[in-house]
Amino acid sequence: MAYAAIHIPGFLVQAVVRGEPALRSTAIALVDGTPPLWKVCATNKAASQAGIELGMARTLVEQFETVQIRPRSRAREKTAHAALLDLGWSISPRVEDTALDTIVIDLTGLSSLFGSEKTIADQLLQRAAALGLIAHVAVAANLEVAIHAARGFSGITLVAPGEETKRLGRLPVIVLEPSAEAFETLDRWGVHTCEALAALPVLKLSERLGQEGVQLHTWAQGTSVRSIALAESGLCFEEEMELDDSVEELDPLAFLLGRLLDQLCTRLKARSLAFQAVHLHFGLDPSGKKDLQVRNDSSRKKDKANIYAKTLTLPVPMRDSKMLLNLLRLQLQGDPPQAPIQTIRIAAEPSRPRAMQTGLFLPASPDPEKLELTIARLAKLVGDSNIGSPQLVDTHRPGDFRMDRFAPSREESSTPRHKRGNELTETKRLDETEPTIGFRMFRPPLPANVQLQEGIPERVSFRCTRGEVVAASGPWRTSGDWWREDTWHQDEWDLEIRFQISANRLGRSPASWPQQGLYRFYYDSICQSWFVRGIYD
Amino acid sequence: MYVELHARSALSFLEGASIPEELVGACAEYGMPAMALLDRDGVYGSPRFHLAAEKASICAHIGAEVTSEAGWRYPMLVSSRAGYQNLCRLITRMKLRTRKGEGSVSPQDIAEFRDGLICLTGGEEGPLAHALARDGIAGGAACVRQLCELFGRENVYVELQRHFCREEEARNQAAAEIARKLALPLLATNGVCHAQAQQREVLDVFTCIRHHCALVSAGRLLARNSERRLKSPAEMYQLFADIPEAIANTQILSSRLKFTLKDLGYEFPRYPVPDGRPQMHFLRERTREGMISRYGRDNKEARKQVERELAMIEKLDLAGYFLIVWDIVRFCREQNILVQGRGSAANSAVCYSLGITAVDPVRMDLLFERFLSEERGEWPDIDLDLPSGDQRERAIQYVYERYGKLGAAMTANVITYRGRSAAREIGKALSFEPEMLDRLSGLVGAWEYKDESDTLDRHFRDAGLDLNHSLIRKFLDLCLMVQDLPRHLGQHSGGMVVCQGQLDSVVPLEPATMPGRVVVQWDKEDCADMGIVKVDLLGLGMMAVLEDSLTIIRNDYGEEVDLAHLPADDPQIYAVLEKADTVGMFQIESRAQMACLPRLRPKCFYDIVVQVAIIRPGPIVGEMVNPYLNRRQGREPVDCLHPKLEPVLERTLGVPLFQEQLLRMAMIAAGFTGGEAEELRRAFGFKRSERRMKEVEKKLRRGMEKNEIVAEVQEKIIRSITSFALYGFPESHAASFALIAYASAYLKCHYLAAFTAAMLNNQPMGFYQPATLVKDAQRHGLRIRPIDVTRSEWLCTLEKSHKNGEFAMRLGMRYVKGLREERAKEIVRERAERTFNSIEDLKLRVPALHKSELATLAAIGALNPIAGKEGAHRRDALWQIERAARKAGPLFEMAEEIPELFENPATALIEAAHYPPKPASPLASMTVEERLIADFHGTGMTVGPHPMAYHRAEMKKQGIRSAIELQHLPNGMPVRVAGSVIARQRPGTAKGFVFLSMEDETGIANAIITPQLFQQNRTVVVHHQFLLIEGKLQNQDNVISVKADCIQPLSITQAETTSHDFH
Repeated sequence: MAYAAIHIPGFLVQAVVRGEPALRSTAIALVDGTPPLWKVCATNKAASQAGIELGMARTLVEQFETVQIRPRSRAREKTAHAALLDLGWSISPRVEDTALDTIVIDLTGLSSLFGSEKTIADQLLQRAAALGLIAHVAVAANLEVAIHAARGFSGITLVAPGEETKRLGRLPVIVLEPSAEAFETLDRWGVHTCEALAALPVLKLSERLGQEGVQLHTWAQGTSVRSIALAESGLCFEEEMELDDSVEELDPLAFLLGRLLDQLCTRLKARSLAFQAVHLHFGLDPSGKKDLQVRNDSSRKKDKANIYAKTLTLPVPMRDSKMLLNLLRLQLQGDPPQAPIQTIRIAAEPSRPRAMQTGLFLPASPDPEKLELTIARLAKLVGDSNIGSPQLVDTHRPGDFRMDRFAPSREESSTPRHKRGNELTETKRLDETEPTIGFRMFRPPLPANVQLQEGIPERVSFRCTRGEVVAASGPWRTSGDWWREDTWHQDEWDLEIRFQISANRLGRSPASWPQQGLYRFYYDSICQSWFVRGIYD
Repeated sequence: MYVELHARSALSFLEGASIPEELVGACAEYGMPAMALLDRDGVYGSPRFHLAAEKASICAHIGAEVTSEAGWRYPMLVSSRAGYQNLCRLITRMKLRTRKGEGSVSPQDIAEFRDGLICLTGGEEGPLAHALARDGIAGGAACVRQLCELFGRENVYVELQRHFCREEEARNQAAAEIARKLALPLLATNGVCHAQAQQREVLDVFTCIRHHCALVSAGRLLARNSERRLKSPAEMYQLFADIPEAIANTQILSSRLKFTLKDLGYEFPRYPVPDGRPQMHFLRERTREGMISRYGRDNKEARKQVERELAMIEKLDLAGYFLIVWDIVRFCREQNILVQGRGSAANSAVCYSLGITAVDPVRMDLLFERFLSEERGEWPDIDLDLPSGDQRERAIQYVYERYGKLGAAMTANVITYRGRSAAREIGKALSFEPEMLDRLSGLVGAWEYKDESDTLDRHFRDAGLDLNHSLIRKFLDLCLMVQDLPRHLGQHSGGMVVCQGQLDSVVPLEPATMPGRVVVQWDKEDCADMGIVKVDLLGLGMMAVLEDSLTIIRNDYGEEVDLAHLPADDPQIYAVLEKADTVGMFQIESRAQMACLPRLRPKCFYDIVVQVAIIRPGPIVGEMVNPYLNRRQGREPVDCLHPKLEPVLERTLGVPLFQEQLLRMAMIAAGFTGGEAEELRRAFGFKRSERRMKEVEKKLRRGMEKNEIVAEVQEKIIRSITSFALYGFPESHAASFALIAYASAYLKCHYLAAFTAAMLNNQPMGFYQPATLVKDAQRHGLRIRPIDVTRSEWLCTLEKSHKNGEFAMRLGMRYVKGLREERAKEIVRERAERTFNSIEDLKLRVPALHKSELATLAAIGALNPIAGKEGAHRRDALWQIERAARKAGPLFEMAEEIPELFENPATALIEAAHYPPKPASPLASMTVEERLIADFHGTGMTVGPHPMAYHRAEMKKQGIRSAIELQHLPNGMPVRVAGSVIARQRPGTAKGFVFLSMEDETGIANAIITPQLFQQNRTVVVHHQFLLIEGKLQNQDNVISVKADCIQPLSITQAETTSHDFH
């Protein structure tokens, strides 16, 4: 019985380099953090030699001309890890997913297929290189020995049975990955190598470091015995497709998406799970970018990264691939990718399927799946940000609100009212303070022209109508968010206006147009213009 | 004319954004004749407001917004002195019955203190707005009626504010209706919170700080707009054009407010003379007694001076003040608390006679007018130095007890936003990440000297921040705007005000955070400006060292040292001073002092006075150091500017070094009186104003013209005065400090062990780290023993050698990093009962010891004596503590190894602990490097050889000289020197030069780094603890330093040595 451990040293850097092979021979520093505060989180040897240290600020690293700076990429780390597992599974079905940067393969019975252990190790190195990874491979009869040797030695290490203690002896105890507390204690003791650790009396060690001490001791001696923990595909349901020819049209894309969704649904069904959310990722071809008339901020950001990402959160877990495809189609129609698609990745966020018992005396409510489909259709028509439940925002900014996701309360009818004291109180309060006058807000506000007399509006015109101010109240001044780019400073006026109707221009009979009205105007000091905010009912 | 009668300053602490002076400035600009300041729950800003208004010829009305039990606030204005006293008492009652920062008043409280107060109905935080919101117009009317009942109809004004807000206008309409119904006057105010519109941003940030939230989440807590600024009368007229009477009433009400702080009514404290005799009589008696004891019966000069001073004291009616200070000093003497007056009080022969000061002003010919003069019109300033810590607290508590809770209080200390605190708070408000906050606050104020490359842009770039980012730019702007704005009220370190039982009618009192302390709402400067007498009870680390040294000498040496009667001219002391061997000595231990001592070569006590005073910004900026030293060494002639000035300047060789000399120069050259001269000093002092300086200069010139002093000499005299007055040091103060410096030098020379122990027991203090003090003491022959749980106390102690009777010092457990004092004392208590048998015994008997504490004790070798066999090493102990820290361990092992012990389970645990120690550990002992690392990590020092000592042979091969070798090398010789950096300095006066002090096993070497070389090696100089410096040796008058040409980092040890940087 033998095990091969594969360890990727400097995994974070390698994960990035794998996507940019040109970086392989240069000094690289990975930075991480929240802009504008970036700090170095990993480097390769060349960068360390150039003087880059972990924790350095990005701006400092920029002063080193020879050092390339890249942001840390967790996505690439994930795919590099998936590639590492693929490497294992390409040799044997018996693979242990030991850590992000380490896997173990059970070599039992593989000699007839691949040859000697050395040959297998060579093959592993080669295949790792083909996947863009530089690996350390260690083969040993003992699984833990293989792992620790792979972490400690570079290249290929073959540990013959019986030599475990001797071979591991030179390695620093950090390869055993002790807890911070145990490592601190060992450091205080001057125990820096596996050899020194192995030489300690195990019983006395157990009295001091507990079971962790015993385990570390066993590992240091290379006598640990444990079986391989086979890796399962786990709860990561992801399907990815790289396209030889970029896709630009929705129909062929829908065909591909449907295939991937079918596969995912089958996998989920086998595990008695359903989709709670669908994550859609497209790798875009920047060269084929379309000219856009209107783009929102979020799409601009996505374009910058040449990635199109969309998440479809479902109100209830579902597994109907046709329904899911319809929802995705609607999403894509509403916000299509702005460049041809090169890669498609769909990830399922799994959840238990819906199990619902409706009440006998409850009114029928729309089927959640159908409701979601309807909302998606509406979103396609009006845009994502214009559908949902409006919520007031705690601000002085006039008319500000946000749209929350529309989610009908399921418990509404089943919960006795007397239990919801807060809401009842709220309702009562609202009833008591019922407004005597309603206000309709124009969104967006209407541009207007206003003539002033001694600082007070006298005549106004907007939407091809003119009027005289009969009564004016104001200004009501608000300003705020001065620390943001979109600061505001507005003077509002409540104006009673008598209109001078021009029937020809309106194309309507004068009788259908109000003669008089109470409006709210405001002067925006930032853009120095007048607008009509709305009308009082 | 409109008068703003409802304004809040930044002294409302986070509820206002402008300091009182700014408000007054804006008020003056708008031509407003008066203004009222109503700070929240206090009169915090009123002295500054009053003074600024006085200068601007504006009438400063006083008031306060006082919090009610329901949470809203009564805006109250003071109409008479009685009203002011009532307001102070009302606030004091409210504050003292609850915790700091809390409190409210009830209608009953108001009813008790309503006389002389006028109530407004307030803005959105006022009673009317609250009542209207709760109960509508009927409730509003009821509220105003209640106010009328409380304050009287004639003392209630219905307030209207207009900030362009709909809700507020609705409130105004309701208020106007109520006023009409109740026939009450309307009053327009603007509820001012800041002087300028842009300060609204600061107000918003303050709101976030107050509510512990960020701007993005503060929502409607923030201001709706920027309208709560001080508006001009024209703007207010326009705003209230429809209600002109609301504007007119502001002037009417203003004319009703007769009180200003000029009429404070502070009465000087009276000392309770025992048998009812007049205070002056009692003072004369005490002074005469003291004078005879100090000067003897026949010293006519002293008698004359004392009589002159007593006459002045009597004339100014200050006897009570002197007696109060004398009483504190007497208490301290009785309680064996070391006390010494400092500052200008040392110019007074009366203070000297009363035992308040220790410097003889008659013998030293010190100028009394610097202390007290008739013209100055303010109380004298007496500062008492006390040992920092418990002893000072005892003196403070004595004053409280003696004068009662409402008779004495600490002065406040207004904590303002400075670089770091501003950066941190604003960063939080702007929602910066904690890590970024750390970086931002770290960017502020590292070096005293700023060169051209030390720009904010550069610092921000280095920290990874982009100044083009709008948020970062906003951050910077806000930081600048909040600089020096008040943040909260603290208590002054030692300033106390005393007022015979009526202090609460002069200024409101409030509890301090420290239990048992009461503070007034004004800071030291405000109290002085308002003519309130204060006594400073200051804690001085060196006083505590002196006191502790005396105790140790008494207990261990069995000797009694009387600091008042030290030998005046001990040659040993002057020899040490000449060599600049002054580490640990008060005021003369810094690198700059050490660089001056060999040139000044003190020979007598007065030389120490000069030495203390000369290394100060005044003489340095005024370029007086070199002329003095050159004249002292006979390299240039003594020039006293004018023959008439010879008596004044002769003793400092023609170079003015002290403030008293400036005063006398003005008195002699320009015929100023003592008071006028003191006025001159103030005009050129910290609060200098161009206009005032010009006036005084004219007067000075006129006086000199009259005395026929030629123009050239006039210029010289004026230059001396103007350049020096800002930073000058009073001679009396220098003399007081010199006494302490002499005492510290005496103790270090004659009782090194006691002095070192006392120094180490009072850290942090002084210029050097404990590690440096220890090495210095070792170089002077003191044996320092390491921390040992079987011998060490919490503090450092002395141990007498049985062989030679010499004292060694045992390091105390206070130096074990992370060891709690209570645990250390528990160890000592347990040890006193029975010695520790083993580490397990220690752990069993002091079970509260944490494993981390045991680990540190073991790592520094403190557990070696109980770690088992003879010669057990630190790792043996580290091995054992791991087991001892696990509860079940000992019993199980004993059960396995010695089963017979467990026949009686009841005593098993104790017996197990007493059983002979177990065999040693399987661990190898620490290497020298590991021990060094453990020592510095665990105690911040090593009592073993200096890290450099282990590398000396290697250093020699490389031609690196030790610090002591440099003394014997010629000037200009190229040298290489290396050591551990113990101090890095870049003083503001040194034009970008950096001074390094490097320590090796032989002593301290100094290096000078030019600004250019520093720029090239910034990282090496700042970040590396061991340096190799090549350069030319400079040996001028035995002042030795190396002018660096090349700097390299050295790899000596990984130990965490520390340095004292940038001070």
